[in-house]
Amino acid sequence: MAIGVKVMRRPEREVSYVRATLKGMALTFKHMFEPKVTMQYPEQKSTTEWSISQRWRGTHRMLTDEQGRSKCVACGLCPQICPANCIKLVPGEDEQGNRYPLIYEIDEFRCVFCGYCQEVCPEEAIHVGVHFENAEYTRGRFVYDLERLQSQTHAVSTLWDPSDPQGE
Amino acid sequence: MADELVNVTIDGMPVSVPKGTPIIEAAKQAGVLVPHYCYHPSLPSPAVCRMCLVEVEKAPKLMPACVTSVVEGQVVHVNSASAKKAREGVLELLLINHPLDCPICDQAGECELQDYVFQEGRAGTRYAEYAKRYSPVEDFGPDILYVPNRCILCTRCVRFMEDVADAPVLNVSERGDRAYIGISEEQKLDHAWSGNVVDLCPVGSLLSKDFLHKARAWDLDKTASVCPGCTQGCNVSIDTRDDVVIRIRPRPNLEVNRHFMCDYGRANYRWMNRGDRIEAPLVRDGARHTATDWDTALARFEQVLRGASGSAVILATGRASTESLGLVRRLVDRFEVAAAVQVPLGEEAPLSGVPNLALRRERAPNLAGAELLGYTPQWAAAMRQALSAAVVIVLDADLDQADEAALAAAPGMVVLLGTVIADALRNVELVLPVTTMAEENGTYVNRDHRIQRYQQAKSQPGMARPAWWIAGEVLAGPGPSADAPSTAAEAFELLGERWPVFAGLGHGDIGYTGRVLRTGSAPVPGRAEGAAR
Repeated sequence: MAIGVKVMRRPEREVSYVRATLKGMALTFKHMFEPKVTMQYPEQKSTTEWSISQRWRGTHRMLTDEQGRSKCVACGLCPQICPANCIKLVPGEDEQGNRYPLIYEIDEFRCVFCGYCQEVCPEEAIHVGVHFENAEYTRGRFVYDLERLQSQTHAVSTLWDPSDPQGE
Repeated sequence: MADELVNVTIDGMPVSVPKGTPIIEAAKQAGVLVPHYCYHPSLPSPAVCRMCLVEVEKAPKLMPACVTSVVEGQVVHVNSASAKKAREGVLELLLINHPLDCPICDQAGECELQDYVFQEGRAGTRYAEYAKRYSPVEDFGPDILYVPNRCILCTRCVRFMEDVADAPVLNVSERGDRAYIGISEEQKLDHAWSGNVVDLCPVGSLLSKDFLHKARAWDLDKTASVCPGCTQGCNVSIDTRDDVVIRIRPRPNLEVNRHFMCDYGRANYRWMNRGDRIEAPLVRDGARHTATDWDTALARFEQVLRGASGSAVILATGRASTESLGLVRRLVDRFEVAAAVQVPLGEEAPLSGVPNLALRRERAPNLAGAELLGYTPQWAAAMRQALSAAVVIVLDADLDQADEAALAAAPGMVVLLGTVIADALRNVELVLPVTTMAEENGTYVNRDHRIQRYQQAKSQPGMARPAWWIAGEVLAGPGPSADAPSTAAEAFELLGERWPVFAGLGHGDIGYTGRVLRTGSAPVPGRAEGAAR
């Protein structure tokens, strides 16, 4: 049994590829003369049009005082408030009788980057950072100890200020 | 209680209280907390903090609730606008010199100043430019630090040392805003009960060096327990964090220890955190022990008991629960039994302001209970008998080297129900891991025959089980049995069958403040007999 094929008769200008190709190329060439919006990421981290928000909550940073010691007094509020339970803190006492953290570790894998630790800190010591490049070769490196937290240099988050909701 | 009752209304709640009750106690009956600092139910009231001022209708001005006795028909407003305004003022003045170093203060989380300021203090300060007075931390005694900056001068510590401990070493020195708690020259706060000033201090001014920076108050799990230190049986709370005992604090029981406990009892918790515990039953296999499961170990225990005849000796620790002592004693009913309980002796240290309260000479919490169950404190005699007995059961006793050597050479079967094992006892027949009092529920009977419950504060290591469970399983016979007790309460009920003094009493009846047992002997004078919950 022969297969019946219905041949559609369409006007030549509708089925020609020449016209469609020219139309596509025209769009392509038009973009060559328009302003560029692509950022060359690894070389370029921000542009005038685009930069990471100051409220960004990324990996943590521990601020230090003038003597280079961490501002943390090991009050225990951040492990208490932490919804992901990712902060390990063991308090100790230094030679002057000041309370300070013997062990302060944040497991960045467990962290949900809510920023509560920064919000609750009475000494403005622990901060979430404006930072997103966290790749490491081993999983163990994602547990940041006190030394690592102190040596981070990226900007700290301003968080969201309820008195200034638009961030102005 | 037979006294005349007066009717008062506190914050709209009518209550009837005995004549002479201070308003603050009547308010407690009405379910209203009057904020206070200097008042403490176990101390005389000087009304110095002015925090408990309340509005009393028809009185010309606010009255201090801690020293004003209730009068018939009195109407008191604790939370009226004028009372709240007065409290807000007091709190504002207290905060002028308070350092607000809550993040590094050990009291944070259980601080009355923090609580009340949060509850009804001013939102801001009006003394921003004023420089706070500063004084360095002082060392008051073996376990106590004084932080003058945080002090609110409630004088509870001064009154405790003067009126309750009868060792007046603390005083209020200087006056006005320079005042601080002073200590007499050449003297230390080293009374046997001085640790109580740390609990009494409503703020973080008096601190325990032992607890300093160790834990935050909100991290601690508190478990109602009984002090295992001596025959007094003070009610305590065992505070743990992540299964580690951090501190022991008194739990109020007006019949036994009021609100206090001694320093010996406070420091007596390190053995609860030992790491070298036996974690699995060990049976002797030739010259060495091999770890095994409970079924095998219990069958072996039964075999040992069935195979022996003649006399049996039980060497028990004074810290064993009534349940454990009783059921282990029942195990050897078939034998001629010598049962001894170990009672270390120490110095007696009374707290003079509270009748019938002292750190007792006999440092075993369950001596009275053991005696009711047929044990004696004649340790040396039992030790001698152990050398000729067919079966010796050691129930977690602290053996010295001579005892260990003697037991190692004993001809009979030695079964150790213990928490740790000494090297000298490597040849005992059977080692069964048991729990300490911090890891089980149970009861102690104190020297006034008050039976009191304690609860499990931390988990047991490995396969350790309470000694009553082991004895109960062996008594019920091999295999799973519904007769074997599975809780301490069930084990306790089994005691009543054999010792009528415990009959008709259950854990539920004992409650959290204990109950005096009706023994044949006369009750101790000066102590009300009967149930008080």
